[in-house]
Amino acid sequence: MIPALAVPVWRTLPWRTLGAAGAAGLLTAGLSRLPGTEPDSRLALGLLRGAALAGALGLAFLLDDPARDGTTTVPTGRAARTALRVALVAPVAALWWAAALLLVPGAHRPPAGAVTLEAGTACALALAAATVAVRHSDDPRPGRPAATAVLVTALLAPLLLPSRWALFTGPEDPRWAAAHDRWAWLLAGAVTVGVASLGEPLGHPFRRTADQPT
Amino acid sequence: MTALVPETEPATAPAAARSASRTTLAAVGALARFEARRLLLRVPVLLALAGYAAWIGWRTLQPWDDYPVLQDADRATQGGPLLVGLAALLCANHAVLRSRRRDTERHLAVLVLPQGHRTAAHALSVVPLALLTAAGVAVQFTWEALKPGAVGRGSVAELLVGPLTVLLFGAIGVLLARLAPSAVAAPLLVVLFFLMFVGAAFPFSGQETGAAWFAPVVGGPGTHPLPSALLGRPAGWHALYLAGLALTAALLAVLVSGTRTRTVRAGLAAALTLTVLGGVVQTGGVPQVTTAARLRASLTPEKDQTCVRQGTTAYCAFPEWTPRIGDWARVVRRVQSLAGGPAHGQRLLVRQRVEARYGLYDDAALRPSTTPHQVTVGTSWGGNRVPEFSTAVAAVLVAGDEKTAGELCDGRMVTVMWLSLAWQSDPEAQLRHVRVDDSLTGPAVVLSRTEPLTMTAGQTKVVRALLHQPFYGVAARVKAHWSELTKPRISTARAAELLGVRAGAGADRCE
Amino acid sequence: MTVTVSASGLSLRYGGTRALDEVSLRLSRGVTGLLGPNGAGKTTLLRVLATAVPADRGAFTVLGHDPATARGRQELRRELGYLPQTPGFHPDFTPFAFVDYVAILKELTDRAARHREVRRVLDEADLAEVRGTRIKKLSGGMRQRVALAAALVGDPGFLVLDEPTVGLDPEQRMRFREVIARAGEDRTVLLSTHQTEDVAMLCHRVLVMAGGRIRFDGTPAELTARAAGRVWSSTGRDPGAKAGWRTGAGGFRNVGDPPEGADLLEPTLEDGYLLTLDGDPAEVTA
Repeated sequence: MIPALAVPVWRTLPWRTLGAAGAAGLLTAGLSRLPGTEPDSRLALGLLRGAALAGALGLAFLLDDPARDGTTTVPTGRAARTALRVALVAPVAALWWAAALLLVPGAHRPPAGAVTLEAGTACALALAAATVAVRHSDDPRPGRPAATAVLVTALLAPLLLPSRWALFTGPEDPRWAAAHDRWAWLLAGAVTVGVASLGEPLGHPFRRTADQPT
Repeated sequence: MTALVPETEPATAPAAARSASRTTLAAVGALARFEARRLLLRVPVLLALAGYAAWIGWRTLQPWDDYPVLQDADRATQGGPLLVGLAALLCANHAVLRSRRRDTERHLAVLVLPQGHRTAAHALSVVPLALLTAAGVAVQFTWEALKPGAVGRGSVAELLVGPLTVLLFGAIGVLLARLAPSAVAAPLLVVLFFLMFVGAAFPFSGQETGAAWFAPVVGGPGTHPLPSALLGRPAGWHALYLAGLALTAALLAVLVSGTRTRTVRAGLAAALTLTVLGGVVQTGGVPQVTTAARLRASLTPEKDQTCVRQGTTAYCAFPEWTPRIGDWARVVRRVQSLAGGPAHGQRLLVRQRVEARYGLYDDAALRPSTTPHQVTVGTSWGGNRVPEFSTAVAAVLVAGDEKTAGELCDGRMVTVMWLSLAWQSDPEAQLRHVRVDDSLTGPAVVLSRTEPLTMTAGQTKVVRALLHQPFYGVAARVKAHWSELTKPRISTARAAELLGVRAGAGADRCE
Repeated sequence: MTVTVSASGLSLRYGGTRALDEVSLRLSRGVTGLLGPNGAGKTTLLRVLATAVPADRGAFTVLGHDPATARGRQELRRELGYLPQTPGFHPDFTPFAFVDYVAILKELTDRAARHREVRRVLDEADLAEVRGTRIKKLSGGMRQRVALAAALVGDPGFLVLDEPTVGLDPEQRMRFREVIARAGEDRTVLLSTHQTEDVAMLCHRVLVMAGGRIRFDGTPAELTARAAGRVWSSTGRDPGAKAGWRTGAGGFRNVGDPPEGADLLEPTLEDGYLLTLDGDPAEVTA
């Protein structure tokens, strides 16, 4: 059934939104090649983070499905449908991220593995936000609140995070390695929250037992 | 049931309908007020406003900000509103797209108020947020101006940049919603703007002239403030450019929404003219007059300065800084009172100097003066600048002039640092502050507005030991042995011995 | 009659509103109409029965499947066809592609059989001619029929239709009734509607909901009978009437408690419905 679903689900993905986000991300990464910009590894890192955030914002819309009202009650569960969407978009996102990395001049490119971890975490957080939004509302388009939450968090986190939990460090910073441990934890947390929100609640078993039909 | 439109949604319709009997403009105004209230209550806007308020408080309460220079303090108000502006962009955009998202557009489209007027109301709804930002800017600047240590004067045009940025970003959000009605567009633009204008990824950012001025906020306050006549910032033109751009974006959005009346077109043409005018003039670079003034102030500051004599010392400062002479004189008096021999009554000249030839953001040290008994003072004060100046005074008292002082590499350094620190309330903390690496052991570079001094590890040890000794004993010994302590090539070990300290000083070797 | 759907004590709150308040019902094969004013809880009840949202309290079974367990819900969904109140579409899909997509989601995995089934329901919904046209180019009535086809695909035993005839012209509504009546021949169909004629013409049973509760449960004839002797005509507006309007013929048609010697008229289902809504909330016929 999953292979049969792949093609129609591929067509239902919000490609226009994802495309806009991807283009904005590539544009952001490409800013470092603009004339007038002083090439600088700090800036390159900032731009790559911006590109990752743009991509993540696009992914926050991944679960938008105008036909949701009608497709909620089909036997193919939400977990399978969501997983399929993520699986379909993952290779595209990977290619896109590789392109973004390559757009940054090699001399100033930050360690690829570490920034990829950051980008992956950002995307996972966005998807987790979208899954949570789907779980907690009937809105067929939960992407906007999810994207807003991701955006606000991303802009405020560097300003508000205390230095001991710093995430947005530079490679020359002694906290770089520790920060990436935190990124990895964050990734694990996002995946956990995302997966935990995939299920469709059956109701409230405790209250239900009190009112069993006779 | 679930098909119920959220309760706030249809309110636009009655609000518009009620006022339709009045003039259209009144209806637009009413709708703008309605939208403004909603905009001000959106979570991102509330968060941004809270962050902005915290930013103002945090900045203004910093101890290094006790002596603000107002021609820099006005620019310092521009960074915070960027955050509010980004929130305005996001939420104004969402507000315009709301009717599309909730599919009420089909209904609203047939109401009396056409889409163009609704767009205008959305653009106007940002105005109260901009006014709130203006209030924030006013509070921040007034707070600075009321500090007892404030000098200089601010510029209204610089103060306008913050609120105008909010207005501009809001208008861009509205325009974006009409050009690209997608929920993802605004967040993406916010990311791009954040990187460019907050994260300095804007091409040409960091430059002082030219295309850098196309960004809403150009350069924050510099490290070393300059007299206001030397700034050469086209602040007025920039404010005009921002206002014109905001108006252009708003009117373009109205035009795109289908209201193509002659008034709108004429307004758009006028706004575009203002934008182009401001935009072109502001990139013209530093005017000739300013360049000449910068040259004069850097090379022959005496031509611009006012001099005041207090005690044995003359103080020459740029007119805007004369209120600060009292602060300098207090330091000079304290240091000089500790000195012995002829230095105790030495006539000094404290001259304020700037280096304005390389622009506002040049961070280079000033060339040390070779004139005997002349001490250089910069334009900043407060925080580390006080012990730094104290050290400069002590160094000139000991070495005779700044040039010689900069080359000190012997036991005299001990006397210099003790003179500089002993009178201060927490000398060891101050020692840490004037050392570039904030250390209390080992060799270090000592801050100075002119060329930095260096302390060896041994000198550091001796100075700290001195600071731990009873003040009056050391002061008496300094005075008693003044001539030997200030003799060139005296070793640190010998100086320590004269001052009664037992600390392994080691050989004097400066890097 | 075999009971196919049975529910007891279903309650659901949205914020402070009691959308469902101890709803119990039993449905059997055939079309059951669900009438009620806006905000009565009709859509909520349908969404609960269609497993789109779990109830806070209470339980129900559909064709022997209990959705309180994951397995039961899965089984129930295999038997379910659901037409939501605001069916959304992917505008770039054709009706065929969309219904095919829903068919895959309903686990019709055999491609040839599935395509046959999709063509069958599209024919049934009278969409054969626009099978290949993009949904965004279709009219509102046609889109509604696409949603109906999507609900019918896979031959579900329990069909939940939430105001399917909204926005249709009379002819389209006729066509719809045909499709629904045919579906009701061997399935359980729960049809929510504002159209009392739909109920009068299609349903063997009718439920009236108001304020989250079932206010009437019986046959359409019984509902109509509630208005017997309570509809009369007059020459002027009768102040004692609960509702009254001038008819095209010139006289007034009144519903309520008639005065002595009033000129009584034959009641319709709508009269019975209006009087039920107007009556005492505790007065429930079951």
